[in-house]
Amino acid sequence: MNRWLDRGITLLLLALLGWAGWSILHWLLVGADWSVVTTNLPLYAVGSFPADQRWRPLLWMAALITLTLLTLTGPKRGWVRRWLPLVWIAMAPLGLWLLAGGLGLLPVGTRSWGGLTLTLLLTGGSGALALPLGILLALGRRSELPVLRWSSAAYIELMRAVPLIAVLFFGQLLIPLFLPPGLEINRVLRAVVAFALFAAAYIAEDVRGGLQAIPPTQREAAAVLGLSPRQVLQLVVLPQALRVALPSLTNQAVGLLQNTSLMAILGLVELLGISRSLLANPAFIGRYLEVYLWLAAVYWLACSAMALLARHLEVQLDPARSAS
Amino acid sequence: MRQRRLLVQVGVAALLIGLLALLVNNLAVNLIRTGLGLGFGWLGRPAGFALAETALPYAPSDSYLWALTIGWLNSLKVIAAGLVLATGLGVAAGAARSSNNRLLRSLAAGYVALIRQVPLLLQLLFWYFVAFLGLPSVPIGGLIRLSNQGIQLLGLNLSVEFCAVLVGLTVFTGASIAEIVRGGINAVPRGQWEAFRSLGLGEGLGLRRIVLPQALPAILPALTSQYLNLAKNSTLAIAVGYADLYAVSDTTITQTGRAIEGFLLLLLSFLLLNLLISGGMAAFNRAVLGRLNRSR
Amino acid sequence: MTVAIRATDLVKSYSQGVRALDGVTLEVNRGEVLVVMGPSGSGKSTLIRTFNGLESLDGGALDVLGVRLDATHAERQVREIRKRVGMVFQQFNLFPHLSILDNITLAPIKVQQRAKAAAEQRAMDLLDQMGIREQAHKYPAQLSGGQQQRVAIARALALDPEVMLFDEPTSALDPERVKEVLDAMRQLAKGGMTMVVVTHELGFAREVADRVMFMDRGQVVETSDPETFFSNAREERSRRFLNQMQH
Ligand SMILES: Nc1ncnc2c1ncn2[C@@H]1O[C@H](COP(=O)(O)OP(=O)(O)OP(=O)(O)O)[C@@H](O)[C@H]1O
Ligand SMILES: [Mg+2]
Repeated sequence: MNRWLDRGITLLLLALLGWAGWSILHWLLVGADWSVVTTNLPLYAVGSFPADQRWRPLLWMAALITLTLLTLTGPKRGWVRRWLPLVWIAMAPLGLWLLAGGLGLLPVGTRSWGGLTLTLLLTGGSGALALPLGILLALGRRSELPVLRWSSAAYIELMRAVPLIAVLFFGQLLIPLFLPPGLEINRVLRAVVAFALFAAAYIAEDVRGGLQAIPPTQREAAAVLGLSPRQVLQLVVLPQALRVALPSLTNQAVGLLQNTSLMAILGLVELLGISRSLLANPAFIGRYLEVYLWLAAVYWLACSAMALLARHLEVQLDPARSAS
Repeated sequence: MRQRRLLVQVGVAALLIGLLALLVNNLAVNLIRTGLGLGFGWLGRPAGFALAETALPYAPSDSYLWALTIGWLNSLKVIAAGLVLATGLGVAAGAARSSNNRLLRSLAAGYVALIRQVPLLLQLLFWYFVAFLGLPSVPIGGLIRLSNQGIQLLGLNLSVEFCAVLVGLTVFTGASIAEIVRGGINAVPRGQWEAFRSLGLGEGLGLRRIVLPQALPAILPALTSQYLNLAKNSTLAIAVGYADLYAVSDTTITQTGRAIEGFLLLLLSFLLLNLLISGGMAAFNRAVLGRLNRSR
Repeated sequence: MTVAIRATDLVKSYSQGVRALDGVTLEVNRGEVLVVMGPSGSGKSTLIRTFNGLESLDGGALDVLGVRLDATHAERQVREIRKRVGMVFQQFNLFPHLSILDNITLAPIKVQQRAKAAAEQRAMDLLDQMGIREQAHKYPAQLSGGQQQRVAIARALALDPEVMLFDEPTSALDPERVKEVLDAMRQLAKGGMTMVVVTHELGFAREVADRVMFMDRGQVVETSDPETFFSNAREERSRRFLNQMQH
């Protein structure tokens, strides 16, 4: 009886899969026209960056890919390993310099930034701002000082109550209103700030979860060695808490990358934004499926790479494994 | 010691107030410069824009307040339907991941892995532009009629925009719920499965009557946060032109320039929405846990 | 003979109204080993945790190595004491994210500003003394309970403390691991270390203690030399406790 049901389900699923496979194959062979992707690869990669300067964003992305591969498959010990973290940290300022120019490079306005480069820069920039802010908020929420505790909690809960698109929209709209007249900050920076303010609230909750997982005896053991409260936090509690929080922080990071796509609604031409403008081009009218599949593949690859890197970091930080 | 603590607190408070004052001051200067001021009087003025989808009668000559209310109802509609469908899909997929059928299990795993690595916005665009706008006109048995103008279901008329948002939210949230359900099921000791199998109960019955009830206490809190996420994510409806609360707010703010007031209203609406969802879930939680405890 | 710790009329109550310490007065001399015994909940842990400021006081006063602690002391005094008093816990409390060597050198480097090489040299010597030199580059989770507790002792010793506090250091260990930790403590006592040890190990107390203190319900019931305490305790409550321990 049960076996027959099992076989029935298998058959039904196989039939469905077969039908789906056939339709996809048919579309790929007859319907699909990939010229909307193949002829616009530079646009997807770097947006409308000046053609003679394209090597700059491309160089940055090549460096990122090399670094990812090196981290995942490179030697496990030795000087390469030791320098990797520093090189990773240096990637953000490097990207900013290569894109914006200055210091010997031709300046390029943020209006010309776009494509995957902009997506990665938005992710990296806002992540780098959000992490420290989130840690501070988590510590604030667990502080013994009521004023600090209440204000952190209020900020976190308020931010978590509103949708991201609203925060981004009002970031574009309101940040200039709250700044002194005459002080202008550009659209990309505004987006990064709004993203960071939003993500920090979620990161704070993950870090708080990590902090809660560290038994109070660890603080005691550190305190009786004469470490100052600040050293206890910095050397004993935080490293452990962040390690506990790492899996959920990874999810946040992947979420951040995906959410940069919301900037398309607000008019930035990151990966999704550039695709929308391409689809509005009469030459590529109606080529939705090709573009969306292509984008899904790119996002999927980027997200998977990030998840792999985070998993790698987890293993590296696991004391039981890294010891020989 | 105590004095130092007090001092630090006063310092923090002063810093926060100072920062706030600076921001408010800048705001005031900017508002005076643009000549807008703050106020909610504009809510009574006619909105002047049309809405494609209205649950209650609405005309462009109606007030902004009424337009926002219509948007709120549209949000509520898609959120409520999304909650129900996503829960069904998520529970089914989560249960499928611990099924005995290998093919079913890997299909469910593939669904979760694929959906969670692709941005929701991209998925919504796909459902709207590719799936629903690409629909040929097909009547199915007279009761259901699909077309790229909308879906007719037993006399119910659903717009393409609504359907795209609904399906997108359902499929996306369903994947997260599936993970939660799987986690909850895995947390139930293996012995429980062996126990009901040894009693001769079937897999489906055992899952429904033995395993899921035990998994629920772990599942419900995580489910609540997914529901809240779904509500927040419903604002992406603007990308496919569904007139939800956020879309109406966006238009309103663009027309009136009332960013601050608009933001406050939106914040308030979402706090209300969140309260509704978490309140409902808390009541459900109590009812379910109460029943579980009594039946023990 | 100079006094290392002098406690006068210590009072400590927890929020639920429990009087964990109810007027405790005692002295510990330099170079002395004081063993504290008593039934569960009698206030032994609370007492030795007040010695390095882990528990605050509601009344009475402490003089630890010339530094005064009372109900209103400053954080500065506590840190001063902690640099000179080592402590070993029942649950080891090693830092799981640091290697054995880093566990031991953390405080010498960060608190006493010693050079890394010197701190590591000293750590290796201490590990040698504890008989676990070859574990230096492992992580706590890879060690047995007895080894972990010996690392914890080495970690405390690395600051060259003048007093060592032990709170049931062998209670979380498998029976066959108890001896290796007690041996390390015995060696320490032979070297002249001032020690306050909460323990239920009768053999250790009989052999190593200079004096045994018996506590019940937050009060000191009696303090005697081990000979007297084990064969001829003055108080009925002590005798009853010893009876239970031996059966
Ligand atoms: N953090 C606390 N909050 C409230 N009460 C506490 C706390 N710590 C200890 N107590 C209470 O204070 C009393 C003394 O506890 P203490 O831990 O000092 O006993 P002990 O002699 O060390 O016992 P054991 O042998 O079980 O370790 C007990 O009644 C205990 O319940
Ligand atoms: Mg104790």
